[in-house]
Amino acid sequence: MTQRGTDGGELLTVEGLRTHFFTQDGVVKAVDGVSFGIRHGETLGIVGESGCGKSITALSVMRLIERPGRIVEGSIRLAGRDLLAFSDEEMRDVRGNAISMIFQEPMTSLNPVFMCGDQIAEVISLHEGIPRREAGDRAVEMLGQVGIPDAKRRAREYPHQLSGGMRQRVMIAMALSTNPELLIADEPTTALDVTIQAQILELMKGLRERNRMAIMLITHDLGVIAEMADDVVVMYAGKVVEAAVVTTIFERPHHPYTRGLLASIPRMGQRRLRLEVIQGVVPNPLNLPSGCLFKRRCRYAMPVCDTPPPLQEIETGHLSRCWLTPTFEPPAVGVEPTPEAAEEAAAALSVGR
Amino acid sequence: MESTQTTRLPGGAVPAVDEVDLTPVRTYWQLVRQRFVRHRLAVIAFFLMLILVAAAVLIPALSGNAWKETSLERINQPPSLGAPLGYDNLGINTFVRLMKGLQTSLFIGFSAVVVIVLIGVPFGAIAGYLGGWADNALMRMVDIVLSIPTFFLILMLVAFWGTGNAWVIIIAIGLTGWTTAARLVRGEFLSLREADFVQAGKALGASGRRIVTRHMIPSSLAPVVVAATLGIADSVVIEAALSFLGFGITPPEASLGNMLTKAQDYFYRDPLLAWYPGITLILVVLAASFLGDGLRDALDPRQRVETS
Amino acid sequence: MARYIVRRLIQAIPILIGISIIVFAIVHLAPGDPFDRFRSPKVSPQVIENLRRVYGLDQPLPVQFWKWFSTFWTFPWDPAAWGYSITDGLPVRDKIFERIPSTLQLMGTSLFLTIIIAIPVGILGAVKQYSLADKTIAVATTIGYALPTFWLGLILRQIFAQQLDLFPLFGKNTFGKEGDIPDLLWHLFLPVLTLTIVGVAGWSRYMRASMLEVLRADYIRTAKAKGLASSRVIFKHALRNALIPIVTLLGLTIPTLLAGAAITEAVFSWPGLGFLGVSAVTERDYPVVLAFAMIGGVMVIIGNLLADVLYAVVDPRIKY
Repeated sequence: MTQRGTDGGELLTVEGLRTHFFTQDGVVKAVDGVSFGIRHGETLGIVGESGCGKSITALSVMRLIERPGRIVEGSIRLAGRDLLAFSDEEMRDVRGNAISMIFQEPMTSLNPVFMCGDQIAEVISLHEGIPRREAGDRAVEMLGQVGIPDAKRRAREYPHQLSGGMRQRVMIAMALSTNPELLIADEPTTALDVTIQAQILELMKGLRERNRMAIMLITHDLGVIAEMADDVVVMYAGKVVEAAVVTTIFERPHHPYTRGLLASIPRMGQRRLRLEVIQGVVPNPLNLPSGCLFKRRCRYAMPVCDTPPPLQEIETGHLSRCWLTPTFEPPAVGVEPTPEAAEEAAAALSVGR
Repeated sequence: MESTQTTRLPGGAVPAVDEVDLTPVRTYWQLVRQRFVRHRLAVIAFFLMLILVAAAVLIPALSGNAWKETSLERINQPPSLGAPLGYDNLGINTFVRLMKGLQTSLFIGFSAVVVIVLIGVPFGAIAGYLGGWADNALMRMVDIVLSIPTFFLILMLVAFWGTGNAWVIIIAIGLTGWTTAARLVRGEFLSLREADFVQAGKALGASGRRIVTRHMIPSSLAPVVVAATLGIADSVVIEAALSFLGFGITPPEASLGNMLTKAQDYFYRDPLLAWYPGITLILVVLAASFLGDGLRDALDPRQRVETS
Repeated sequence: MARYIVRRLIQAIPILIGISIIVFAIVHLAPGDPFDRFRSPKVSPQVIENLRRVYGLDQPLPVQFWKWFSTFWTFPWDPAAWGYSITDGLPVRDKIFERIPSTLQLMGTSLFLTIIIAIPVGILGAVKQYSLADKTIAVATTIGYALPTFWLGLILRQIFAQQLDLFPLFGKNTFGKEGDIPDLLWHLFLPVLTLTIVGVAGWSRYMRASMLEVLRADYIRTAKAKGLASSRVIFKHALRNALIPIVTLLGLTIPTLLAGAAITEAVFSWPGLGFLGVSAVTERDYPVVLAFAMIGGVMVIIGNLLADVLYAVVDPRIKY
């Protein structure tokens, strides 16, 4: 798992991404200094509660952020080239082509007045310059590949005539029809029934194998992460709070937030009177606490938490944004905050938006 | 730094405490007021309406019968201090007459809206609450009323049953305009019927009437208030049109509409005559429209449809 | 769909009966009668009585109603189906049919111009939301929407016809020039301008609102994520959806094509159907008034049905 730095072999490298929303009530720092990398064929899971910035991160990669939001800082490199420097035309070339995205709500994500097959054919025709007739045939083929029976007939149907699971398959077909190198999936199964969820995940795994496709999988569901992800990034209030290989996250979570998330999942065979919860609520983005953003909800909170913690390498390839040592002790007395942390603290304390 | 005190357990750990969220809690009406005030246009409209109403009430009250006092000597006199718009062909103070006309038009407009609400709300409430065949029958009646061209219907009612009679005009506009309010209330009631808080009320043993009056009607009032405010604009324009054509308020009574008729006849003497009642009318319409828009956003921001 | 249309037409029958009863009641139960203006010491009561008998006004009301209602529907072939005008004795049906082309010219032209201007304006306002263009349009349309149509007509006529003498004062053609198209257009200009200004103000706001709502939808985000150019996103994906309510509204506007501009016609003395209706009311010409109201009612019913049918045509989600 690479965190910063070299593009060695990486398909997508995001560094220091900051996407802020300039609203009437103030600046919302939806994504505030996020960095991660995805290698070819690898699946990165981004986990977090609603509002933590994971969807905005995905939209930022696709450069689909609109007013009042703006990417204010950072770099997003796709195979070495910085997407933030691309012209609109070049970016359009990337979307739906090198990077495809599928969304949470299949019902509203498909245009209700066009037939499903046409919507797929449109993207094929656009990026591969193929005439509509042929694109239409390819679309039917794709529908078959995603497991829709009677594809030819279904292609001529409208989204409202299909069930939720089938619509998501159509979305997947649409996304994969141009053989993208990276698929961004934003909560692809959240709006579906559990049984359908399992089917869709199986489908995605199969297609991933076949196409050697990298996936950026965004979800709040740790079960999905366990199924699909190779690496995991945990986000909280716009920042990365933990990052590691998936097994590490589940076996040796470090950040109190991650630990809280994992602890709150009831397990078979456990005998308990009460479910574990993480006390408190996600902070109001317009009224963020200074220092560590999690400190008000953290059972380990210490005086040093008033200084924002930097992302520290707990063990090889395992990062955590917390002052606690790898053994969950308070940090040694007299430890100097890193220059980065000091800078963050200074920025957080400064007046003016 | 925040002003919260953090207590610490032995060992330095902080017990898990609830998040201190400093955003204050507000009541429903405070929130409504807050949202309304955000719309500068709506606030301006509110004050404009206030000014118009005040002028329409005060100026005729203060000037007594001046609005119909003719005077041979003052025919077509130019504007002066006591008569900012001069005198017309009969020697009447135009400004005072304009205000009297505004008063008439506003009175008819507001009253018509009251009639609309008085007819429409119970109608819609009954239809929505009872549902089934009662709803069907009542909605058929709505269809019938809506199927006749509205202005022509009002015209017929006023022309045949009482030209120049303000009450006939009010009732005519009311009888044709209640359908929107009825539909709104019916729609709200139909959905509210299944709403949880209504079921809860029933479970607690509240009678039908109590549920309707105490719970459902207040919830459905918001769209009615908006429709009523916007309805003022429509009613005032309808009255003006009626008076313009000679069916509504007729001279010597004053109305913005019949002042326009005179303006048409006396164009060559005073081309500006058509502008005074026209601008006044437009101001009323604008005030009512923006007020209505502002109320819509304030009372139910979910409904927000940006039309301006 | 055909079954739905038939069902709606059948449902329309009680509504039509209801309309006719109401209209008839308003006209005949009102105080006074159409011959009041003929009453004077010089005219003997016997003459009035004869007139009343000729027009059937001496019969009991239900009889009158039935006579009128039953013959009303024979109008395609029977010129006397709608009775004879009290004002000039001509068959009402012919009087009305004669006026239809004029009104259609006026309303049709206005509606056409309104639509082709309002739709692009609305799209522009939505796509460039909050821009200077949008704000200007918003201000202009708000004011335009608040203008009473008849006042606007009055003012335009005052300025351009009376003061500047650029356009004719009334009517639809200069005497002796019937059938001359440029002359007709010259007469059409001001009334059409009046109706179009107010029309564009209203329709463009509607279009803008509809477009804004569509642009917020998830499927627009999907379209962008597919890499489509913004012109394609706007004009293909968004517009197709945004036009749905507009098309429905169009259906609902059809009824006004015949009677909607009564006041404007009055201001410009345009010899249309609306003006005829207003004159008939002034003169208490009952047969004309009744026929006019019924036609209006029929048009509204057809218009509503048309709106629903069009809705099903343009929106694949709707199925009757």
